[in-house]
Amino acid sequence: MRRAFIACGALALVFFAAAPLAWMMLTAFKPPPEIFVSPPTFLPGEWTMANVQRLFAETRFATYLVNSALVAAGTVALTLAVAIPGAYGLTRFRWRGREAVSMTVLFTYMFAPIMVIIPFYVLMRALELTNTRVGLVLAYTAFCLPFALWLLRSFFQSIPLELEEAALTDGASRLQAMRDVLLPLAAPGLIATGTFTFILAWNDYIFARVLLSADELKTLPVGIADLYNASVVDWGMIMSAGTLVLVPVFVVFLFIQKYLVEGWGSGGIKG
Amino acid sequence: MRPILAMAALVAALVVPEAQAQKVIRVWHTETQPNSQQAMRNIAARFEAKNPGVKVELEALAWTDLEGKIMASLAAGTPPELSHGQPITCTALQSKGLLLPLDDVVKALGEDNIFDQIKRVCRVEGKQYGLVHAAGTSLLIYRKDLVRKLGLKPPKTWADLVANAKALARPGMYGITIPGDNLFINILLGELIASNGGMLFDKSNRPQVTSKQMVETLEFLKELTRYAPPGWEGHGYRETFTNLYGQKAAMMFQGYGRGASLIEANAPKDMANADFFDVWVKPHGPSGKAPVAQVDEEPWMLFKGARNTREAIEFLKFFYQKDNYLEYIQTVPIHFFPITKSMRGDRDYQSTPMIQRWKGWLDAQEHYLSRDLGRPTLVVDWADMNNKPYLMEVLGSGILRDMVMDVLLENKAPKEATGRAQRRLEDLLKSKGYLK
Amino acid sequence: MNQGRAGWLLVLPALLLLCALTVYPVAYGIWISFFNKHSFFPEQSFIGFANYLAVFADEEFWQALRLGLVYSASTIALQLVLGVGAALLLNEAFAGRALVRAVAIFPYVIPTVVAVIVWKWLLNSQFGLVNHLLGSPISWMGRDWIMVSLIVVSVWQFFPFVLLAVLARLQTIPQDLYDAAKVDGAGALRRFIDVTLPQLAGVLFVVVLLRSIWMFTKFDTPWLMIQGGGAETYIRTLPIYTYLRTFGYYEAGRGSAMAVLMFLMLVAAAALYFRLWRREEQL
Repeated sequence: MRRAFIACGALALVFFAAAPLAWMMLTAFKPPPEIFVSPPTFLPGEWTMANVQRLFAETRFATYLVNSALVAAGTVALTLAVAIPGAYGLTRFRWRGREAVSMTVLFTYMFAPIMVIIPFYVLMRALELTNTRVGLVLAYTAFCLPFALWLLRSFFQSIPLELEEAALTDGASRLQAMRDVLLPLAAPGLIATGTFTFILAWNDYIFARVLLSADELKTLPVGIADLYNASVVDWGMIMSAGTLVLVPVFVVFLFIQKYLVEGWGSGGIKG
Repeated sequence: MRPILAMAALVAALVVPEAQAQKVIRVWHTETQPNSQQAMRNIAARFEAKNPGVKVELEALAWTDLEGKIMASLAAGTPPELSHGQPITCTALQSKGLLLPLDDVVKALGEDNIFDQIKRVCRVEGKQYGLVHAAGTSLLIYRKDLVRKLGLKPPKTWADLVANAKALARPGMYGITIPGDNLFINILLGELIASNGGMLFDKSNRPQVTSKQMVETLEFLKELTRYAPPGWEGHGYRETFTNLYGQKAAMMFQGYGRGASLIEANAPKDMANADFFDVWVKPHGPSGKAPVAQVDEEPWMLFKGARNTREAIEFLKFFYQKDNYLEYIQTVPIHFFPITKSMRGDRDYQSTPMIQRWKGWLDAQEHYLSRDLGRPTLVVDWADMNNKPYLMEVLGSGILRDMVMDVLLENKAPKEATGRAQRRLEDLLKSKGYLK
Repeated sequence: MNQGRAGWLLVLPALLLLCALTVYPVAYGIWISFFNKHSFFPEQSFIGFANYLAVFADEEFWQALRLGLVYSASTIALQLVLGVGAALLLNEAFAGRALVRAVAIFPYVIPTVVAVIVWKWLLNSQFGLVNHLLGSPISWMGRDWIMVSLIVVSVWQFFPFVLLAVLARLQTIPQDLYDAAKVDGAGALRRFIDVTLPQLAGVLFVVVLLRSIWMFTKFDTPWLMIQGGGAETYIRTLPIYTYLRTFGYYEAGRGSAMAVLMFLMLVAAAALYFRLWRREEQL
């Protein structure tokens, strides 16, 4: 009974999440006139790679992909490098103003990003960082940092102090205790934070649009939006762009899945 | 150790390929179609080869994004050298002293060589502050085969058009398709009010939307959209083309030359030609005498605050040279109507296969342009271009679109809808100081 | 090292980055809300609170607020239900779980542009698959259904966020808690209410807070969905209207005033939220 319930639930979930994407992928391989046939066909009557070929031949899609990856990875690196010590400082030490700092960090989120755009651009211009990927990484880090701090703080808080204190009495330094005890236990939290940060940076449209000019620096969202807004909309090509975007993501997530599945079975915590 | 190496590699990859060139000309344009972008890149590459030490940084943006970027760059005090813009944007910027004249380029092309209509765009006190990259009028596209079968005549008045739409409607196919986008509704309204002998704002900037001509326009649209697919307000420009070649609609009131390429790519093979999709000259309204078609003619603008304006002028001259301009025009040959008579009459241009196939579409555009029946968006009188710099804000505010939707979707009486729009427009103009 | 000093030092890099890159733009935004400034041109004039008064008198502002609340509340509720449900499901062991998990997360990792394009194509009134399957020509992008379409896309896009956060937490709940409850005779539902929910409280607190902030200020999804389209008035939430005032009406001062008001509303709501449901998160 329980099994059937689970099976149904799993199927429904997969269908809900995947069906639109499956449709996109099927459309990517249809020749253009077939895309506008009514009633629509499910499987392509004629499978064709022409859309994908056009995508790579006529656009800078490959470049956009690389740019997005670089910028997102950079954002994750910088955000974690700053947020992990930050969250550690907020949870493992008692000091005055700790709560206030946490609150202020959250406040920065409440100002709608789109209103920040123009002053942010002016600032980047003054720093000569417009039209650079570094500038974009800084923008995304600033945007992701409050959230990363909050999430890591929450995860660190859920890990009992006693475990590190045990390590400390065994003679380890604070740094060693953090590295050997806290971080491994907080691994799911680190991965979750890193993942969320990557996604926020990967998905952003408006900062990339305003801060970048050169076509060779564009990230995927901007590149794909331009394809969509091109006056001659090539649906087959757009759908193939969307499909290709999924491939590296699928690979990344397969890897992360394994990690999450292993959970963390070391003593004291559920395996 | 390994994470550190990875980190270093990442930083290197991020920082390294940022271009460092001596003189950079930033050129922003709205032709996002891949082959047009490629043509621009080719032209830029050839220019760079002829002018070592100069780098051309191109960017193609949708119109809505472009306006935002221009704004941000003006706010930062670093506008690009060259950019496309709407005609009304050009005059607005010029009125604030932010542009430089392009008369050098006009001279290089030959003042008499440029069509008169083109020169009227963004011309202030005898100087040309904007130079149109290519023109393209809006087109009333129709299914020639169906019209022939039904024996319908070209519509001379709005009533004729509605009758044709009604006759063409059948199960599975609607009579007409129009887009519901803010931009296109504004374009449409500008065209229609001009075709009906009316105006949007009078000489003292008072809005005229409560006029008889506007009420007639709204009533016409209400009638016409009875034969449009339900939910037409959610159709963008692209969807209307999809409706046309997907055979869901028999006419399209606001098509452009780009449609020819779309039809060739997407319509069923045996129908993808001018025998099935042709254009009519638009009809005029009951209070008007002649139709007016909007012209999609974005001018190049040269920004005063940019660094390398002299090189930018040279680039523009290079852009309009025959080989370069021809390559550009040929990327969207039916929509890019050339600004020079020499190109229009040029043999290579005329023998472009696509131009031969869709000749009728180009003739219709020439009809409007040569009889001075073409106007930029929201401009009714040419004087409006220079005297009414607030047209940009009117477009962006969506007030006119809201008025149309009030009548067509919310079923409000035209009197109520136009009254509301009149109040909102007056508030807008008063707050900007154009109306006392 | 002194406790306090260490704590501050560790947090300093984060604070510096935030100050430089967030505080300045926010401060500029607040500053400019007291001016009459054209978004395009540099001239500006000080007008005190006039922008704020104009906003309160503007019927469209209230309409946008109403739409924004409808949008936020619906999407958050649905994201929560779907996300928690999916997390509970994926916390069970079954064959192919890793694959199902990966698929369920997909919608979140796609750029908004792609998600919107895909759904607009599915919901196309003439050629879309949804209308074909339903057998009826519902115009999803028209005035009657556009809000529903937007909610569907937003929930589809963001429920995996809830899923991931909740699942990560579920995996750290000690099994003994459940065993003890089972020994006491508690059924599945009771175990959920007595064991799981309390354990999830901390994560849910953060998740609801963050999702509320993000959905209330969300711009990308509704904007890309409608982008100046005819039915835009029907999903003109506050962020969209703020954008319009700034980039359509070219009134940067007025737009900033609205952003400040949005900010104040969120602060007030967050303060209330903390007061009502604060967890003992301090150590």
